[in-house]
Amino acid sequence: MISRSVSRVVMLTAFVVAFAMPAHAADHAVAQIKKAFTVPVLKAKVGDTVTFRNDDEFAHNVFSLSETQNFDLGSYKKGETRQLTLKNPGTIEVECAIHPEMKMKIEVSK
Amino acid sequence: MKRLLATLVLAFAAPALADEAVAPLPRDTADAAVIRGSIAFHTYCVLCHGAEGKGDGRAAKMYTPRPANLTVSPFNDTYKEMIIRGGGASVGRSAFMPPWGDELTDEQIRDVVAFLRELRKTGK
Repeated sequence: MISRSVSRVVMLTAFVVAFAMPAHAADHAVAQIKKAFTVPVLKAKVGDTVTFRNDDEFAHNVFSLSETQNFDLGSYKKGETRQLTLKNPGTIEVECAIHPEMKMKIEVSK
Repeated sequence: MKRLLATLVLAFAAPALADEAVAPLPRDTADAAVIRGSIAFHTYCVLCHGAEGKGDGRAAKMYTPRPANLTVSPFNDTYKEMIIRGGGASVGRSAFMPPWGDELTDEQIRDVVAFLRELRKTGK
């Protein structure tokens, strides 16, 4: 009798915890190779992270002036990464301050 | 008669063309450096420093301190070359100014400095 009650409590607790916790945030990898982003349009959710990895021989400087979220990740060399956490829904236009031809978009949903 | 006239015209025009051929290439003039520097500036630097170099580019609002107003910059050419090549952090200034040494050639950096010298002179 007691063990059945305990098992019910455990199951109920597991059920509540599973639904109460927010969905696990994903990490999206976007590399920079030959002065281009490897993903031209990225679809992601609020809370997700985007990891920008520089696979070029020279520095990149990823930034955005978008109203959805503006940021500047600073300049970083070959092999280094910079991470961005997506805070708001909407479209973020991403550029490189050193290479004006480099552009990509992040479409962030709730 | 027409043929003779054409021959005379060519004979007198040829030395003038030859003189032009030995004139210094525009590439070697200071004006050419300023023009090339202007192109590089308006490609790479305009984002933060603005079209007129006053530190009011479209990205300027994101940064504290604001990008430098290059029309009143007190720094000499050597310092400007250093900060362009190595970035702001290399001279203890804003790290938001990226290093351009990998992107621009030595000639382009000198050209940009030549353009900045002109910008400082004319203030526009």
